Amino acid sequence: MLNLLTAERIKLARSKKLILVLAILSLLPIIQAVNSKMVVNYGTELIQAKDTVINGATGILMMEKNGLTVLLVMCTFIGFFIGEEFQNGTIRNALSLGRSRTHYYLSKLVIASLLTLIGVLAMTAIGVISFTSVLGFGEFAEIDNYSLYVIKTFITLYLLILANVSIYVMISFLTKNSSISLVWSFLYTIGTGFGAGIFLETEHFKQVTYWFTESFLFYSDFAKTTDIAKYPEMILVSLITIVLSSTIGILLFNRTDLK
Amino acid sequence: MSETILKATNITKIYGKHKALDKVTIEIKRGMIYGLIGENGAGKSTFMRTIMGLITTDEGNIELFGEIGAKGLQQARRKMGQSIETPALYPELTARDNLRVQAANGGMSEREIDDLLRLMSLEHTGKKKAKNFSLGMRQRLAIASTLISHPEFLILDEPTNGLDPSGIVEMREIIHRLVTERGITVLLSSHLLDELSQIATHYGILHDGKLIKELSKEQLANETRQYIELETAEVQKAIVVLDELGIRDYEVINGTNINIYERLDDVATLNRSLVLADVNVSRIGTTRQKLEDYFLQLTGGNSHA
Repeated sequence: MLNLLTAERIKLARSKKLILVLAILSLLPIIQAVNSKMVVNYGTELIQAKDTVINGATGILMMEKNGLTVLLVMCTFIGFFIGEEFQNGTIRNALSLGRSRTHYYLSKLVIASLLTLIGVLAMTAIGVISFTSVLGFGEFAEIDNYSLYVIKTFITLYLLILANVSIYVMISFLTKNSSISLVWSFLYTIGTGFGAGIFLETEHFKQVTYWFTESFLFYSDFAKTTDIAKYPEMILVSLITIVLSSTIGILLFNRTDLK
Repeated sequence: MSETILKATNITKIYGKHKALDKVTIEIKRGMIYGLIGENGAGKSTFMRTIMGLITTDEGNIELFGEIGAKGLQQARRKMGQSIETPALYPELTARDNLRVQAANGGMSEREIDDLLRLMSLEHTGKKKAKNFSLGMRQRLAIASTLISHPEFLILDEPTNGLDPSGIVEMREIIHRLVTERGITVLLSSHLLDELSQIATHYGILHDGKLIKELSKEQLANETRQYIELETAEVQKAIVVLDELGIRDYEVINGTNINIYERLDDVATLNRSLVLADVNVSRIGTTRQKLEDYFLQLTGGNSHA
């Protein structure tokens, strides 16, 4: 497993796609901070419930603010990162050396998780710094222990995103092709993300939508105490999603014939 | 008796209603260069993939380095290297980085990379990315990549596919060197029997997923042996002359041709005797059955071999 991770590190060391992903996630908060400053300068007051991030303190919610962007960027990266291994035939190089398919799958999942962590960490840190620079650090209403809130919120938001990353990894291994993987990943993201908005309006299916992490990510307000109280539920759904999708992905990948 | 590297017994692979492999049994011993011949779609790549564990079999057993079962085969595959069809490389990486990735995959040290780059004449590629290499360079890099894990058994699927004549010769020399200098056992495939005949020590002919014939280099030479081809309208008179000369190993073809399988160095004497016996000889000379014709004869028709 460590050998496979070392191989992944070498592959990614000069990857333009990796640089592009990190550049998007790093530049986005700067652009948003500048944009927010201009909005304020034109006389509009920023509202936390609507704008999500309104100062340095609320910068911790950059993942909530940019949830869809992060997911789309990550599913594109993962589609290429895994799909190209199948398309170039390079997946054979490791597997024909007797490497276990489960280890191969897990090494890809670990790399995707680490990259997501680095990306969202950079985005959140740059977000806090940028918004503090242009709008001041300010304060977070209704939050008594800010440090604890930051840790809990970051972990919860990261896990919600990681659950989707895990789904994208599974889709990529099953489709074995970058473009097909992209289509299915987009459909999944859009379907579970925006489909939930419709089901949330109905009494009977409302609860079903909370089996999907994107419902929490897109339809919760992480600054509201009622939603903060749902963190354990969000973490549980995320962990179940990660375990389930990885198990299904590994089982099916182990039975797949490789060209 | 040399050690058995691969023993594949009754390997069957079915895709829908099509049998890609139908009870294929092959045994490869240490030091062999086993050439798998067959037209496109005969099942060569499928067989190689089953050996490497890339596809599952519907029937049959694989024994590699004496190991059987999923765990045993997984261990045994660490002694193998492969290059299937197109060279599997990371196009955005340099030759060196491609080798570093494979060294990491195999848990091997990077110390040998320079030697391998030299061995494959790729030491001057520097920062050039694999996507900008010629096909020959990519094939060489793919083989270098397989060598980094010190394989004892190498599987090469159509390694000369798409190469120009000089590239083909170069690839042949590389394979020869690997066998003689490193003692590697090789399983390679091609749809060109003529090309394989210049390198392989043993042959397996696959047709429609079935192994229709296995033979050694000597057997192939014997079956496609040289003979004197004599063309005459007076076959009976010619046979009398052959009998007088004590020639017994011949056959009459089409009533006008006689293929003579002995005294191949004595065509002049034979010709003189025929002329003295007043036999009208239209044509006489030594010839050899073309390997392509031999292959077509075995497979019964339309092939590219």
